[in-house]
Amino acid sequence: MPESAIRVQSLRKIYNVPVREEGLKAAFRGLVHRQLREVKAVDGITFEIAPGEVVGFLGPNGAGKTTTLKVLAGLLHPTSGEAQVLDYIPWRRHKDYLRQMTLVMGQRGQLQWDIPAFESFELCRAIYQIPLSDYRRTRDEFVELLELKDLVQKPVRNLSLGERMKCDMVAALLHRPQILFLDEPTIGLDVTMQKRIRTFIAEYNRRYGATVLLTSHYMADVVALCKRVIVIHQGRILYDGSLAGLVGRFSAFKTIEFTLENAAVDLSAYGEVLSRDDGHITLRVPKSETSRVTARLLTDLVIDDLTIEDPPIEDVIERVFAQEKIE
Amino acid sequence: MSYLRLWWVHLRVGVMNELQYRVNFFVQLFNSLLSLGVGLAGWAIVFTYTETLGGWGRAELLAVMGIHILMGGLINTFIDPNMIRLMQEVRLGTLDYALVKPKDAQVLVSVRQTDFWQMVDVLIGLSVLMVALLQLKSQLGLWQTLAFGVALLLGGLMIYSVFLMLATWSFWFVRVGNILQIFRGIYEAGRWPVDIYPDWLRFGLTFLAPVAFAVTVPAQALTGRLTPLTLGGAALLAIGLLSLSRWFWNFGLRHYTGASA
Amino acid sequence: MKGMLDFYITQFKIELSSHFQYRFALLIRIIVLVIEPVIYLVVWTTVAEAHGGIVGGYTRGEFAAYYIAWMLVRQMTVSLGPSDVEDLIRSGELSAMLLRPVNPFHIFLASGPSAKVFTFLWLMPILAILVIVFRPTLSPALWEIATFAAALVMAYILRFVLLWAMQMAAFWITRASALTGMYFAAEFLLSGRLLPISMLPLWAQQIGNVLPFRWSFGFPLDVLLGRLTPLEVGLGFLIQVAWLLVGAFLIKVLWRAGLRRYSAVGG
Repeated sequence: MPESAIRVQSLRKIYNVPVREEGLKAAFRGLVHRQLREVKAVDGITFEIAPGEVVGFLGPNGAGKTTTLKVLAGLLHPTSGEAQVLDYIPWRRHKDYLRQMTLVMGQRGQLQWDIPAFESFELCRAIYQIPLSDYRRTRDEFVELLELKDLVQKPVRNLSLGERMKCDMVAALLHRPQILFLDEPTIGLDVTMQKRIRTFIAEYNRRYGATVLLTSHYMADVVALCKRVIVIHQGRILYDGSLAGLVGRFSAFKTIEFTLENAAVDLSAYGEVLSRDDGHITLRVPKSETSRVTARLLTDLVIDDLTIEDPPIEDVIERVFAQEKIE
Repeated sequence: MSYLRLWWVHLRVGVMNELQYRVNFFVQLFNSLLSLGVGLAGWAIVFTYTETLGGWGRAELLAVMGIHILMGGLINTFIDPNMIRLMQEVRLGTLDYALVKPKDAQVLVSVRQTDFWQMVDVLIGLSVLMVALLQLKSQLGLWQTLAFGVALLLGGLMIYSVFLMLATWSFWFVRVGNILQIFRGIYEAGRWPVDIYPDWLRFGLTFLAPVAFAVTVPAQALTGRLTPLTLGGAALLAIGLLSLSRWFWNFGLRHYTGASA
Repeated sequence: MKGMLDFYITQFKIELSSHFQYRFALLIRIIVLVIEPVIYLVVWTTVAEAHGGIVGGYTRGEFAAYYIAWMLVRQMTVSLGPSDVEDLIRSGELSAMLLRPVNPFHIFLASGPSAKVFTFLWLMPILAILVIVFRPTLSPALWEIATFAAALVMAYILRFVLLWAMQMAAFWITRASALTGMYFAAEFLLSGRLLPISMLPLWAQQIGNVLPFRWSFGFPLDVLLGRLTPLEVGLGFLIQVAWLLVGAFLIKVLWRAGLRRYSAVGG
């Protein structure tokens, strides 16, 4: 087992995109003279991931998450910088490397539309040259885990989005890869399905010790699966560490939730009122003020059930992305 | 070789799947017969005005038509579906899946699709060819038949290379969905022996879009017109086009993956 | 009516600009449409040369004129594909189109003129080259060109109307493209596309005169080549109008019936 499963140093990926303007005249001009614009998708990132880790990649759209993932999957050549996965250089696309990794892109499946899923599984078996007994064992194990028994016989186009995703996950993991690149695997799925996929990924990681790099917009994915998160914004790493630490570092607030008998009281003196429902109040206060405000609330008012919480992670992330400058 | 197995598995899965849709068979049969009817009508009309066309007789021209249909069927069954799927996947972004597989990407994208019911044209083409050969009262020796088979194979490989090069353009111009239509139009010229065309067109049909090698040369093999020189030239050109298409494919892939501008 | 005109003009402008983006796709289509007549031209020229330079009443130069003008007429009358309406219905896109205040018929018809203008610009140099290469014998009088233009516009509308009417079948049959396939096949043989109509066997010509195919393709060609007497030209226009009315009537009836079925079956 190599020391680190994934190693990235000063990775940079710059695109030159043509500029398109509105109007008929501009369209004419565009025929003769093409203007290019530089887009820095990834602007110098460095990190290391140990074998068996499940790391979440967070960032707004266009932050560079998918680009980084594609570079590590060997689909893109970086403009500069280095990366190694399992001691291979990904974009050399060495066959032995490709046999040990897998890529899953949410909303874009690899299964063929018009044939049943289990036929697509057979195709994967041929492509990865999986021994028959291993193939059967793995396939049956996953089909059971995801409860796909009845679905694999149907043509994929007859399945719902969630069912398709489940089948896609099976197909992606039949060759028991050690490295999983998951690009928004739960996007567009309903809550139950999201949970199923998450559980499956966690189980796969547990059983086979695979390294997982996952991008997602859904905090629930990250909270459920990732002990470590890397936050990317405008092509740079804003934060690399534990999820709890993220909140601690970027959140300047805490929320105090409590129930009041007398719901009509004016609370503006204590802090910002986020909601008041039937006497259930949510108050936002600066972190440093938390104990002082809590003490005052308890003294001044008649309160039942007081809890102090970190703000929802979504809010924290939103604020992180709203930052123009990186500290 | 494992690639042969790869092709076989994909073929088996594809065919078994298409066999379910018998309606498609009847639709294909209808369209093929319609096409055949139109083709025969054209052939008949031309031969009310003349006995020979560019040195080819009526029955010989029927043989050319048969090979044209046969080869067209093979192209539509094995080559066209893969190229269309390739261009579609470039557009949708799902080509990435083919690129992360531990198999040569060019082979993978070239063997995975088949449009089985297009084989109807292969049958029709063969039938027309049989009728033509009967009318010619030709006596085909072993060598002639072998030469025919080889010529057909070489022509097919050349066509594949050209198709691949056309499809590879989609790495730069994503919206070139109907680029294969160029070939369709040019292929129509293969209905007639390329001898009749002016030099510049014959050149184009030989070296740019190898329709001459796909249709006329195999026909030459069957009608005693084939020279070893032509067959040798076909082999050379096939190798040349295969190499060129492979190089272009890799070039396109480097562009797609951002390894070059 | 003014609203309709506005709509057509705006569509024209929008489509023209988007056509610049898709210049490549259009170029491909043009190349394809040029190859076909060159093939027939070569075939007939070969036959002519083996028979003293004239076949079926056409000399080599006249064949060249026929097939070069053929390209212009073909480009200008191309409109719907074999399954455009069928695709709309199958994809459910028709439902979205029905929400708009304009009948899809007009939307499709309106997208024609802008494509034609663009095609014309590209076609002119190509035709010029072909004229140099094939040396056609053609010298139409001014009034012949004018009449030709009128017949061409009528041909475009007529062909569009008939194809649209045919494709109404898609409301009832799933494989309506088979019907259009038969239409195209008959059209290919009887409209003057494969070869000049006068070279067909007499019985085929007579059938062709009754059916609309000739009047949406071969007729404008014959006008330009000066092969018709003024009486025949006038008659031709009348037949065009007659078939146009037939087509319009069919559309009116079938569209309404088809929509009723469409909303009953569920889009």
